[in-house]
Amino acid sequence: MTTIRSTLATAVPTALREAIDGLLLSMADDEFVIGFSDSEWTGIAPILEEDVAMSSLAQDELGHATALYELLAALRDAPGVDADAIAYDREPHEYRHARLLDHGRGDWAMTIARRYLYDTADAVRLEALAASSIAPLRELVDKIRREERYHLMHATAWLERLAERRGEPRDRLVAAMEELGPDAGTVFTPLAGEAKLVEGGALAEPMEALEARWRARITPDFVRLGLPMPPATADAINGRVIHGEPFRWLWSEFTSVRLQDPVAAW
Amino acid sequence: MTDSAPLDRETTARQGPPLEPWEVFRQEKEGDPMRHGGSVMAPDAVLAVHYARELYGRRQESVRLWVVRRADVHDLSDPDLLQPPLDRSFKKPGGYVMRDKLAAARKQSGQQKPRARAT
Repeated sequence: MTTIRSTLATAVPTALREAIDGLLLSMADDEFVIGFSDSEWTGIAPILEEDVAMSSLAQDELGHATALYELLAALRDAPGVDADAIAYDREPHEYRHARLLDHGRGDWAMTIARRYLYDTADAVRLEALAASSIAPLRELVDKIRREERYHLMHATAWLERLAERRGEPRDRLVAAMEELGPDAGTVFTPLAGEAKLVEGGALAEPMEALEARWRARITPDFVRLGLPMPPATADAINGRVIHGEPFRWLWSEFTSVRLQDPVAAW
Repeated sequence: MTDSAPLDRETTARQGPPLEPWEVFRQEKEGDPMRHGGSVMAPDAVLAVHYARELYGRRQESVRLWVVRRADVHDLSDPDLLQPPLDRSFKKPGGYVMRDKLAAARKQSGQQKPRARAT
């Protein structure tokens, strides 16, 4: 831990510290919340094999969240601040994940639609960090991208199967896309200090440009499968700050063990 | 939030495309033979490969997987063809001693007997 702390302390220029903090927190919270939501399928996924696959994917996301929270803890470099403290010891309104992830688990089509929308957006965001001037972040992103490649293959395979099967599978998928679509772009909610990040070479392009890139990237899939394209984001500025009732429920689930015994180790 | 309850496993399996078994072969490290690992149920090759990865590779225990539709495997288990009742011991190499021939060949070529591999 000492090594990460000292490496990160020298890797992040003071002027970028706050902006990097916000970037890491948004990414970590995204991975943490989608990982936790997807883990709700353990035991009840459509078939046994998919149960194992979805649970394993969810674990991958929690692993990414852990690594990002650890970077953040190293950056904050304060006593008592570790990955668990950042992940669990906050009130629901303090989380900074995208509103796309605030719709509750829903049915299988909802889960696949959310995975597809998030994984495609995350891929564009990770690409924009692949040549980041912040070395520890760049190195972590390189590892995460190698795993996310598979996640996207899995989500796309399911998206195609649901979309191409007339009747209930397609109807449920279209309904899910209509519900999630208006919030899909919230992954690209502008960050405080974003201009500094781009100027300092930490992030390749502003979020607005990344969102345009993402929309261009997913359009062929939506056209090919005849699905409703996500419309422009409603209330884009608050895309990461206002979380509804489904998230409050999820928060009470994932903090329950921590609240019972804050010093438990496992 | 979508209110409809998730379909239970049996209902989903009934409504979806039929599942069929796929056999999974795995290689533990480069150079090892492919060994049968087990099987997965899947509706098509793409998902079969996904599931093989999760069930036989998610803990980094494989460097390569082969996934084969069980229906594509040609089975031979006929005892008349594999375990014929007559004596076949003359087809085994047991009566053929290599040791003396190898020693003679080494002597002729001036080579030493290789040492036992340290494994």
